Amino acid sequence: MDEGRLHPITVAIREIADIFARMGFSVAQGPELETEHYNFNALNIPADHPARDMQDTFWTVEEPRRVPRTQTSPMQVRYMEEQAKKGNMPPYRIIVPGKVFRNEATDATHEAQFYQNEGLAIGEDVSLAHLKGTLDTFFREYLGEGSRVRFRPSYFPFVEPGVEVDVWFEPEGKEGRWLEVMGAGMVHPSVIKNAGLDPEKYQGFAFGGGIERLIMVKYGVPDVRLFHGGDIRFVHGFAEKEV
Amino acid sequence: MKISRTWLQKYFDTELPSAEAIADALTFHAFEIEEVEGDILDIKVLPDRAAYALSHRGIATEVAAVLNIPLARDSLRDPLPAWNPTDELVLAKGVEGKVNRKMGALVRGVKVGPSPKWLFDALKSVGARSINNVVDATNYVTLNMGQPLHAFDAKKITWHDGQLHITVREAAEGEQITVLTGETYKLPGGALVIAEAVEGTALDIAGIKGGAPSAITEDTTDLFVSVANFDGPSVRKTAQALNLFTDASVRFQNKISSELAAYGMRDVLALIQKVAGGEVVGVNDVYGGIESPASVSVTIEKIQKVLGAPLTESEISDALTRLRLAYTFDGTAYLVTPPFERRDLAIAEDIAEEVGRIIGYDRIDSQQLPEIARPLESDAYAGVERIKDVLRARGYTEISTQSFSGTGDILLANPLDKSKPALRTRLKENMSDALARAALAAPRVLGPVPSVQLFEIGSVFPKEGECLSLSLGYRALSGKTKAVHLDTIIDALRDEAGLTASVERSGDEVAEMLLNGVDLAMLGKGYVPLPFALGAYRSFSTYPFALRDVAVWTPEGTEETEVSGLILKEAGEYLARIDCFDRFEKDGRVSYAFRLVFESMDRTLSDADLDPAMERIAAALDSRGGWSVR
Repeated sequence: MDEGRLHPITVAIREIADIFARMGFSVAQGPELETEHYNFNALNIPADHPARDMQDTFWTVEEPRRVPRTQTSPMQVRYMEEQAKKGNMPPYRIIVPGKVFRNEATDATHEAQFYQNEGLAIGEDVSLAHLKGTLDTFFREYLGEGSRVRFRPSYFPFVEPGVEVDVWFEPEGKEGRWLEVMGAGMVHPSVIKNAGLDPEKYQGFAFGGGIERLIMVKYGVPDVRLFHGGDIRFVHGFAEKEV
Repeated sequence: MKISRTWLQKYFDTELPSAEAIADALTFHAFEIEEVEGDILDIKVLPDRAAYALSHRGIATEVAAVLNIPLARDSLRDPLPAWNPTDELVLAKGVEGKVNRKMGALVRGVKVGPSPKWLFDALKSVGARSINNVVDATNYVTLNMGQPLHAFDAKKITWHDGQLHITVREAAEGEQITVLTGETYKLPGGALVIAEAVEGTALDIAGIKGGAPSAITEDTTDLFVSVANFDGPSVRKTAQALNLFTDASVRFQNKISSELAAYGMRDVLALIQKVAGGEVVGVNDVYGGIESPASVSVTIEKIQKVLGAPLTESEISDALTRLRLAYTFDGTAYLVTPPFERRDLAIAEDIAEEVGRIIGYDRIDSQQLPEIARPLESDAYAGVERIKDVLRARGYTEISTQSFSGTGDILLANPLDKSKPALRTRLKENMSDALARAALAAPRVLGPVPSVQLFEIGSVFPKEGECLSLSLGYRALSGKTKAVHLDTIIDALRDEAGLTASVERSGDEVAEMLLNGVDLAMLGKGYVPLPFALGAYRSFSTYPFALRDVAVWTPEGTEETEVSGLILKEAGEYLARIDCFDRFEKDGRVSYAFRLVFESMDRTLSDADLDPAMERIAAALDSRGGWSVR
């Protein structure tokens, strides 16, 4: 019998999960329909905060209203909270690949639903240097040996310091270029506290970036809207080989 | 915010580098730059720094710190004048807790007219339209130092016994106000308005936009200059309700310091007098008290531990000095006292960020995380992947579809696509649709196959609660689809992946299983998902493909590749796929039948494109000894 195909998102998440597993990261998953608490408030984004305007948010017609999560970051708090409740103290290392939603007009590089991969590492002395080392390793293995990351100052309410992460990508036979691939930073002490841990004792990093975008640059996909259109012509557009 | 290099230069005695060079330096030490055009930088100031950096003065302090060049002047550090209050102006905060500071000035005898060239040019350079010298002066001061302010025509407001009574009140629901630019807005209840205190007439949407009736015009001679600090969340709420975000509202919603108001008043009065003349009658100030950020204590060790870099005391001190942050150091810890406009520096990590970005994140060396003893906990994820691997091995192709749907139990308050206002409760509808499209695409994508088989695993949102669901689709392309086809795969999932869940059938082609009762961690325990490598993506044509069959008798012993090779040579550029779908031998001869798929990336092909190719192929095949096209 002819074999079928896996969706490229599945293949990519497996590869990503494999690389992170070698660095001690488990895969955790959480709900796509989130409470306002986990998606915003627990991440240092109260209702009246201008940072709420940084993302275009869908809301449900419910009491209380909920939100198709705008980011995979709510799992930071959910995971830490759950572990702390069970009495499991850090180190914690997880990645959270999953679907997120943004209420913005779609075009070749924007979709209202897409996948993000979140990362979280908490310990007693996990630093921004560890973030850099972890991402350097990830991108070298995922995008190729010549890859490396650089940080630019940025702001996300749930990290401090906060950075944008660029990766140097050298596609085969083409000139290298810097790509903006994720937001990251050191988990904000109040987020650690919101999850029930002591921020005096524990610190760590978090990052989050789009998965479709990585696949698009790695394999040359021209339009992000192809991913979730339920079209076999897209899935079969990649040659697939077991490794 | 648009920032002009020429304007920035006013803060420096040394010649600034080019706008491009400033952009580069800011990019790696302060802000993302959206665009540089000539002398103008479009700087993306995020909410954390908006209280001080939505201004040329704020950006100048950053440029000074980042490029390590001295700031020659900083008006926020100059002393304030002592103003005389005036009895002619009676100011009230009006709404307690929503107005942090209310300042007002009366200016008499201004001459309204066009702005001087430098002012006109400065505003124009950053995309602001010149109105007249008085209005331009207020806009210039806001863009220069960050304080929103507004000048009213004092004679167009009602006076009572030689006094102007001004307050702030909450609007009644639906109360109307016509703003400077002519639009009339219906205010949400509770929106703050600056109002004439006796009659209650609304003069201005507080912190957002001035009203039309009291606008400055050519015959204006007397001004009421209003400089205030309004509650950020209230302003943001009204701006959102009206979808009216202005230079003023953006600054208030990011909670600029109330201290800034007095500096704004000082600067705007000076500029108005410079460009329009007039006498300041007096300045009144209703303010609760001095607002200054608390000092932040941070140890060297904490900074090193957060950044993961062995920074020295002199490097840290230098970064703080460059940022003009006052500090004391006791040998272990810094006590940093931020200036009033820096609302972003509250905890030790904030100081670590300032140090890290000024020194440069490129100075942080990569470090690998230490090994940890804790075993991986990815079983639930592996359980889902195991189901996918079984399906894939049995010929099923995975698809991914949209989570929004025409109907469902949970509706969106603000759907993007009005025809899909709900969250899907099942995957089956998308599966039926995908299956139909897959059947049409199959000859091109899969070749002459007897069936298409699809699956999707995704979240669904029935009223009972979100859960993962698995949908399966099977359509026979030759013959009829039978229930047994899906039964076979459902049995395989049970036998090979241990998956049992109740099955919802939608006819013979589609089945769905909600996975909420399935212990996915148990299914995935010890399972390692198969790793795959993908090849470069090949785009498909959005134009229809065309099919042609060709069959040929060949002598015994002729290989399939010999025939296909000959066809490929003659088929031309539009051949997208070739599959041998029939082979049999008879009377010492072999018959081969091939299906050819033709496609163009940029148009629909016609017979005129394909007939010549098919004729060439037939001629080439026929010309071989012992071969004949059937």
